[in-house]
Amino acid sequence: MSKLQIPVEIETLANGLRVVISPDHSAPIVTVGVYYQIGFRLEPRGRSGFAHLFEHMMFQGSEHAGKMEHIRLINSSGGVLNGTTNYDITNYFEVVPSNALERVLWLEADRMRALKVDDENLRNQRDVVKEEVRVNVLNQPYGGFPWLDLPPVAYRNWPNAHNFYGDFADLDAATLQDVRTFFHTYYAPNNAVLLIVGDVEPKESFELARKYFESIPPHPAVPSADTSEPRQLEERRGEVEEKFGQLPALAIGYNIPQRHERDWYASALLDRVLHGGRAGRIHRTLVLEKQIAIAAEGGMGFPDAFEYNGPTLGTTTIYHKPEYSPEATVAAFDEVIAEVHDKTLDADELEQIKVKCRADYFSMLESGGAGVPRFGLMHALACFTLFDNDPQRVNTVLDNFLSVTPAEIQATARKYLVPANRSIVFRKPIVQAAPVGAHEGVQQ
Amino acid sequence: MTSATSPTAFPVRAPAVGPERPVAWPRRTVRTLANGMQVVLAEQHTFPKIGVELFFRSGNALVSHKSPDLAELTSRVIRTGTHLHTSRQIEEGLRRMGASLGTMAGADTSAIAISGLSEFAGKLLAMVDDLARNAAFPADEFERERRQRLEELRIERTTPGFLANERFRRVLFGEHPYAVVAPTEAQVEAYQRDSLADFYRENYVPSNALLIAVGDLSSDSMMALVEKTFGAWKAGPAPTLAETELPHPRGRAVHLVHLPGTVQTEILLGNLAITRQSPDWRRSVLANAIYGGAFNSRLVANIREQKGYTYSPRSALHALRHHGYFSVHAAVRNDVVAATLTEMFYELDRLRSLPVSDGELADAINYLSGVFSLGIATQDGLLAQLSTVYLNALPEDYLETFREKIRALQAGDVLEAARRYFDSANAQIVIVGDRAQVEPQAALFGEVRVHDAQGKTM
Repeated sequence: MSKLQIPVEIETLANGLRVVISPDHSAPIVTVGVYYQIGFRLEPRGRSGFAHLFEHMMFQGSEHAGKMEHIRLINSSGGVLNGTTNYDITNYFEVVPSNALERVLWLEADRMRALKVDDENLRNQRDVVKEEVRVNVLNQPYGGFPWLDLPPVAYRNWPNAHNFYGDFADLDAATLQDVRTFFHTYYAPNNAVLLIVGDVEPKESFELARKYFESIPPHPAVPSADTSEPRQLEERRGEVEEKFGQLPALAIGYNIPQRHERDWYASALLDRVLHGGRAGRIHRTLVLEKQIAIAAEGGMGFPDAFEYNGPTLGTTTIYHKPEYSPEATVAAFDEVIAEVHDKTLDADELEQIKVKCRADYFSMLESGGAGVPRFGLMHALACFTLFDNDPQRVNTVLDNFLSVTPAEIQATARKYLVPANRSIVFRKPIVQAAPVGAHEGVQQ
Repeated sequence: MTSATSPTAFPVRAPAVGPERPVAWPRRTVRTLANGMQVVLAEQHTFPKIGVELFFRSGNALVSHKSPDLAELTSRVIRTGTHLHTSRQIEEGLRRMGASLGTMAGADTSAIAISGLSEFAGKLLAMVDDLARNAAFPADEFERERRQRLEELRIERTTPGFLANERFRRVLFGEHPYAVVAPTEAQVEAYQRDSLADFYRENYVPSNALLIAVGDLSSDSMMALVEKTFGAWKAGPAPTLAETELPHPRGRAVHLVHLPGTVQTEILLGNLAITRQSPDWRRSVLANAIYGGAFNSRLVANIREQKGYTYSPRSALHALRHHGYFSVHAAVRNDVVAATLTEMFYELDRLRSLPVSDGELADAINYLSGVFSLGIATQDGLLAQLSTVYLNALPEDYLETFREKIRALQAGDVLEAARRYFDSANAQIVIVGDRAQVEPQAALFGEVRVHDAQGKTM
């Protein structure tokens, strides 16, 4: 069995900025990221969508690189750039030929030390964000399903339960002062990690990091907020209207264990028993065998599940045929769940799942979600540093998944995959497609 | 050690970029087996994985006159059972090798793509071989996939981006097979299991095949596995696409797809352009990068960063095997449709009229030169680059010489390419939105023809 040892070096600068470097000389490319420990859970009340709007503002100019200059300087170095807002982190990243490393560090340092934006920029990006919400949510069939639909049903605490993309009224209410306050509160070197992954020499790169970042003053204390949830005692349900699509859909989300608890690793393996492509039991049963569903997928996102540092759902999304009722669909889903409660996993199935875990982990490190080289490795290093202060975990975490036993999986299923620990959202089409054909033995 | 710097010492100017570093594209082993299968292998040792893609040079265009999208459904049913393995054995077998499988068809190709752990290389190739030669097309799996396709189509025809693309291809390609991107529901209902099996038998043949593998193995051992796996496959003739005349509409026209209740309008405009084999390809790519093919481009700066009309404007050159086209796209709020079109045409006409500055030219050249090489760092990226070269029969040194050829381009090349291929005066404009809200704005740009989401004239 192939073992992989990723070289990882970490230093903490005097201002608290952690710098993580992973050299890899296989191609003359470097992936650079700055991750801030702030996501949409912690955005201010009355300002839903603000963390994401703010992320846009970080591309609007800093003291020495005005509007469009960040973009021009990266693109004209032969690279690409982007940023994403997540539950507990916001990231900014660039992939460039490695001869452009110093320029990238200068740019990231400039916007960490002195964001420079005005009302015009804010108006502009508010408009851009509204079109983003329309193109991804409001003007798409099943837009926002289930990632925006489930939290308000599943959670009781505002940080977990609100509209992360933002209500338009809240976006309209955002002011330049809000932007400044948010920047000064969360965008501090001592609340961030700088990642440099690729064709670089660590010693030289640490020096460059010090040169550009170490003079940025730390902030006294970055506030934390209570993102805990009251214990859930019964199943929660909600409905959302589907304006365009004609196929009924539903999403079932279970609260999953906290990261790095033993149950969390077992949950990830259990997740692969249930999901994980066409061999997964839910797809196999609902789509291939019983043919109730057109699509059934989901999961807790292994191996991308490292980015959550608070209440998290493991979610199954099902688009089902109109000739089956939502209740019949949930009942078929529950039969699959009952099986993992009742029967221990056989050794062969577990072995298949572990091989696939190993392969998927390598694929994630190699490229990962954003489709750029080493994004996944950078992302994992960032999360392990911000949440666990241990980037070396990237070399050991896989073993924790691969050592899970059938008994642990069954125990986790019995403990977590129970109705009182889940929420269900139904996407109800305004216009529902006519059922095709007749099916025996299923209640309508 | 550098000494600690004070805040005032922060450099006010961006550091210069160091000299461009050489990019060593991996050596390829290229061979044609006795049965006609073309094989391209490259080593990539960063992760213990291998990616294999087997292409057949026959796609949906080949059959679109009688059964649109048949190649796609054929490819989907292939993985549901062979004469040796059931669907479940195939899916669990994949998991056992840490593998992911995709079977799909585009306009010009059908493909079986697999990637998994390199320790299972031989078995992964055997799986590809089984799917390529022994597909059984079980009747019940065919019916299940047919129904899935129907439901998928119903969703696609409520998706603005899909509807824009469907209408746009229809307008650009007229009666040509490239005009059709998806079947109607009635056409899906009419599929016969036997037509899938016929398509498979006629087109999944080694003389029609290109196999590309990129993996953490030596080329020699990959070649030995490929010969052992595919060498005995018997040759057979492969069909070719019958060409038809293309429409070349003169003057702008507006094609509105009415989708009631939309809160945003999808705009897609453009014209026929060129394939990758054209000597003008690189200069057109450069012109596109300056116009709207990069974040740092005129279109993005104008309608996103200055005016806030849209989140994701872009322009692109699309190269199919026999023809290509140019497109400009944005999803905008309903009240700025006319304003957006005005800016799109303004930027097209500006690029067609005035030479770009030296700085803007250098920025775009540096961009293309750099991002071209990003794919080298992953197996998927490398495989994608190799498939571009070998599916389009580009020169063997295409990857190695791309940067120097891009660097040789000048402002005159951009002007020339924009004048030839960004055909502002004859652009076909597709708009997907609520008719009542956008038709008056659209009518300012040409005669408006209105269709519904199913393609019926309204």
